[in-house]
Amino acid sequence: MSAIASRRALPRIDRGVWLPLLAVVTALAIGALLVAATGVALPDAAAAFADGAWGSGYAIGASINRALAIGLVGLGFIVAQRANLTNVGGEGQIALGGIAATAMSLYGGASHLAGPLAFVMPMLAATLAGAAWGAIAGAMKVRFGTNEVISTLLLSFIGIWVLYGCVQSEALLRQPMTTSATLPESLEIPEATHLPRLWGEADVPLHVGLPLALLLCAVVAVVINRTVFGTMLRAVGANPDAARRAGMPIGGCIVLAMAIAGAFGGLAGALMLQGEQWTLKARFSSGYGFDGLVVGLLARGSVKGVIASALLFGFLRSGGINMELVANVPSAIVVVIQGLIIVTLAAAALWIERGAVR
Amino acid sequence: MDTHALELLAVFVGSTLRLATPMLFAASGELVSERAGVLNLSVEGMMLLGAFAGAMGSLYSGSPLVGVLAAVLAVIPLALLQAFLSNTLRANQIVSGIGLNLVVLGATTVLYRQWLGSRSRVQIPGIDRWAPPGLSDIPVFGAVFVQSALLYVGLAVLVIAAWVLRATAVGLAVHAAGAEPRALDQSGGSVQRVRYGAVLFCGVMSALGGAFISLGDIHTFTENMTAGTGYLALVAVIFGNWRMGRTVFACLFFGAATALQFQLPAMGLNVPNALLIMLPYLMALLAVGGVMGRQTPPAYLTLAYRR
Repeated sequence: MSAIASRRALPRIDRGVWLPLLAVVTALAIGALLVAATGVALPDAAAAFADGAWGSGYAIGASINRALAIGLVGLGFIVAQRANLTNVGGEGQIALGGIAATAMSLYGGASHLAGPLAFVMPMLAATLAGAAWGAIAGAMKVRFGTNEVISTLLLSFIGIWVLYGCVQSEALLRQPMTTSATLPESLEIPEATHLPRLWGEADVPLHVGLPLALLLCAVVAVVINRTVFGTMLRAVGANPDAARRAGMPIGGCIVLAMAIAGAFGGLAGALMLQGEQWTLKARFSSGYGFDGLVVGLLARGSVKGVIASALLFGFLRSGGINMELVANVPSAIVVVIQGLIIVTLAAAALWIERGAVR
Repeated sequence: MDTHALELLAVFVGSTLRLATPMLFAASGELVSERAGVLNLSVEGMMLLGAFAGAMGSLYSGSPLVGVLAAVLAVIPLALLQAFLSNTLRANQIVSGIGLNLVVLGATTVLYRQWLGSRSRVQIPGIDRWAPPGLSDIPVFGAVFVQSALLYVGLAVLVIAAWVLRATAVGLAVHAAGAEPRALDQSGGSVQRVRYGAVLFCGVMSALGGAFISLGDIHTFTENMTAGTGYLALVAVIFGNWRMGRTVFACLFFGAATALQFQLPAMGLNVPNALLIMLPYLMALLAVGGVMGRQTPPAYLTLAYRR
C-alpha cells in the first residue's frame, strides 16, 4: 500500500536521483548524531566540516582533487561494467600507477624532457602500468575463466604490498638512508614533473588533472554510448555466445575493457602523486580505489553519476579530515557515514533498477 | 639439529598455529557461506566487531567467557543484516560487504576512543592458556600445544563443521544452495533459509576468530586490530578451492608466512617483509589462475536467488 501511495505522490521523479540523495542525507544525519554522542558541539563540528570541505579556495581545490582520483577509478569501472565485468582492483591499480609515475619522474629521466613532456611521460607510464595490472585480470578471465572479482581483489592486495616493498627498499624507490630516521618513502619528484597548477601561484591546488578528467568523462560517455566498441562491450557483456557467433573478438574485448579500467586507476595514481603528494609513501592511496569502486557502482553506468558521486566522496573526505583536526571529532565518523551510504544504496539498488525500467 | 634450532622451530610452529587460528575460524565460516552462494566480504568487519565486543565484554565483566559471548552476540545482528542484504534485498554482495566493513571500522574506532580513551593501553582479562593433557610434557615441542583454550574450542567446531558439510543433509543443502539453488528449491528446500544460516554461521565463526585475536592472543583492543585477517581468510577459501581440507592448509600456510615475518629478522635473515606479506595473495592468484589445478567455485557464488 505505502509503496503505491509513494509512487503516486512522487510522479516522474527518477528514484535513481532522489533515493541516493535521501541515503546521503540520512547517513549525514546519523553522522551528526554520532558527532553529538562524542560530546562535540554539533555547530562546531559542522563548521569544521564545511571549512575543510569548501571553506576556502584551497579546501575546494583539495576536495576536487580527491574527487578526481576517485572519479577516474569510477570512470574505468563503468567502462568495464559495460562488458559485465566488475573491477574491484582500483586500489592496486592506483598503487602501480603511483610506482610507475614515481620511477619515471625520479629515475626515468622525465624531468629532463622538454616542456609538458616532463609531466606527461610519468602520467603515461602510470596509465600503462595500471592498464597492465588490469589486463592481467582480463587475460586470466579469457584464458582460465577466472572470476575477475576475485582476481582484481587479489591483485589489489598484491599491488598495495608491491608499493610497500618499493618504498621500503633502497634498491627500489626508497630515498637514500642518511640516518636511521630516514622515512620509508621516495624522494620528492622533481618540480618539472609536478602537474602544472591551473592558476599559477594562487592558493588553489587545482591542476591540469581537472580538465583532463573532464575531457576523459566526455570521451568515455561517447565511447560507451556511441561507438562500435561501446556496442561490442555491451554485446560481450549481455550475451557472450551471441557476440562470438556474430564474430566479435570476445577475448580481446574483455582484456581491453579490464586494461581500460586499470588504465584509469593508474592515471588516478599519477594525479595523486604528481598533483599533490610528490613523494610516494606506502599508504599513499588510503582507500581511494575502493571509493572509486563504490562511485562506479553508485553511478549505475552513467558518467554524470560518476561525477556526482565522486564529488560527494571527495568533499566528504576533506570535510572529515578537517573535522578531526579542528573539532577533534574522530574522522572515523566519516568512515561510518560512507559505509552507511554504501550499504543503503546497495540495499536499494534493486528497487532503483525497477524504477528505472518502469 | 642442535637444541637451539629445535627451540626456534618450536616457537615457529607455535606462533604459526596461533596466527593461523583466527583465520581458520573465519575461513571455515566463509567457506560455508560461499558454498551456499554468498561471498561474504564483511567477514573482515565481523572479525573486527567480534574482537571489539569481546574485548569490551571481558573488560566490563572481568570474565573472558562473557567477552566471547559478547563477541558472538554483537556479530549476530551484523550477520543477519548481511544475509538480509545479499539474499532478501539481492544487493551486490561485494558492495554491501565493503560498506559494512567501513561501518564497523568507523564505529569500533569511535566507540573504542569514547569508552577507553586515555585508558587505551589497559590490559583486558584474556582467555587462559591450556594444553591437552600430556602433550605439554613433550620435550621442546610441548610448548607448541600450550595455546589459548579458545583455539581448541575452535578446532572442535571446525571438525564438526567439516563433518556436517561432508556427511549430512544440511551439508548437502549448503552445497546445493550455491551450486544448483533451483534444484534445492524444487526439491522442497529453502535456498533463503540455507543461505541465511550459512551467513549466520560465518558471523559466529568470524566473531570467535576476532575474539581470539583480542582475548586469546593480544589481550587488548586496538583500532582496526584485525588489519585484513578477514580478507586473508577469504583468500584462504579461494586458495583452498572451496574445500575444507585445502582451506585449512591455506590458513596454516598463511599463518606460517606471517610468523616468518617476525622470525626471519630474529634469525638474522633478510627477506623483504613485503614479499612475505604478499605471498598469500600471490599464491591465491596463482591458484585461481589454474596453476594448482582447476578451480571450481560454487556456480552461483555472489548470485542472489530469485524464485
